[in-house]
Amino acid sequence: MIVASRSSGNESQSDRAGSSARPDRVDPRLVERHACQRRVSWLAAPLWIGLSVLVMRLYFGYRIANASALRAQYRAIRRQSDAPLLVCANHLTLIDSFLVAWSMGSPGYWLRHFDELPWNTPERTNFGRTWLARSLIFVAKCIPITRGGAREDVGDVLERVRYLLQQGETALLFPEAGRSRSGRVEESAAAWGVGRVVGSVPGCRVLCVYLRGRRQETWSDFPARGDVMEVSMSCIEPKSDSRGVRRSRDLAQQIVRELMRMEAEHLRDR
Amino acid sequence: MEQSEVMDRVVKILTPWVKDEAALENVSMETNILEDLKVNSARLVDVVIAFEDDFDIEIADEDVDQVNTVGDAVNLISGKL
Repeated sequence: MIVASRSSGNESQSDRAGSSARPDRVDPRLVERHACQRRVSWLAAPLWIGLSVLVMRLYFGYRIANASALRAQYRAIRRQSDAPLLVCANHLTLIDSFLVAWSMGSPGYWLRHFDELPWNTPERTNFGRTWLARSLIFVAKCIPITRGGAREDVGDVLERVRYLLQQGETALLFPEAGRSRSGRVEESAAAWGVGRVVGSVPGCRVLCVYLRGRRQETWSDFPARGDVMEVSMSCIEPKSDSRGVRRSRDLAQQIVRELMRMEAEHLRDR
Repeated sequence: MEQSEVMDRVVKILTPWVKDEAALENVSMETNILEDLKVNSARLVDVVIAFEDDFDIEIADEDVDQVNTVGDAVNLISGKL
């Protein structure tokens, strides 16, 4: 388990320009929609957070290895700075976002620090099929996204993530977009949307989280029952001298490379 | 630069990322880059950077949100030349 906090370079002129030159215009409908969902989610938090952990612990029998140490390290990272924090994780199962959150904090911690509990961006086709599923993900701090969908819709989701980060809330994005079909973090799968978010939020830090069940060989819907999750964290501040789309790709690649480094370390120590 | 010339260069740039090569035979301004040509959405960024290099222009992240069809790309590029 590793916790590092480091910058991948000094803040460049284009970093400052790229993040501060952007006018802060946010669609009022987005603000209203976000506030409404946040309120509903907060009111229902004791139920859905508690239930999620009970299902993971008692029904699936999952455990987080060294959970208390991990959570202490997460709190230490939080104490280091008030800067916006985006969580980026590798992606192997449908419930990775719940497992990542569970590894970072206990249910009690998330109830006391609700805005730190990351918003998640699940694939709409996986979770948005039925009215019940759509209601559940609405309550559980989820912003559905259609990967490969209309660019404008994807842009709206990224805009909302940018907005909530600037409000001091946290989001979890999977830089590889979907679950890794090879079971390994792949640089070629790096989606530049994550770089776009990081590049548009001044001072944004990225908490890279590598999570893998001890019995998780490749991707699947769920980890094996009773599996123990090994988790490591590394906090980085991606920087780039490039501009525009190139800059976003550069930032996204730095995040994915960090996850690849963590994976190599995980597999070496396995 | 004529729009037809921009179109030809856009199609040429797109070709290496196109998974459905048959769709390239009937490519038009209305052809959807992701749905019809089956370009991987994660690789769209590489396509856009190739546009930047080939036409010597700079494209902002937000501009990419407007690009769904080949025609959208042609119009975006034409507007920056």
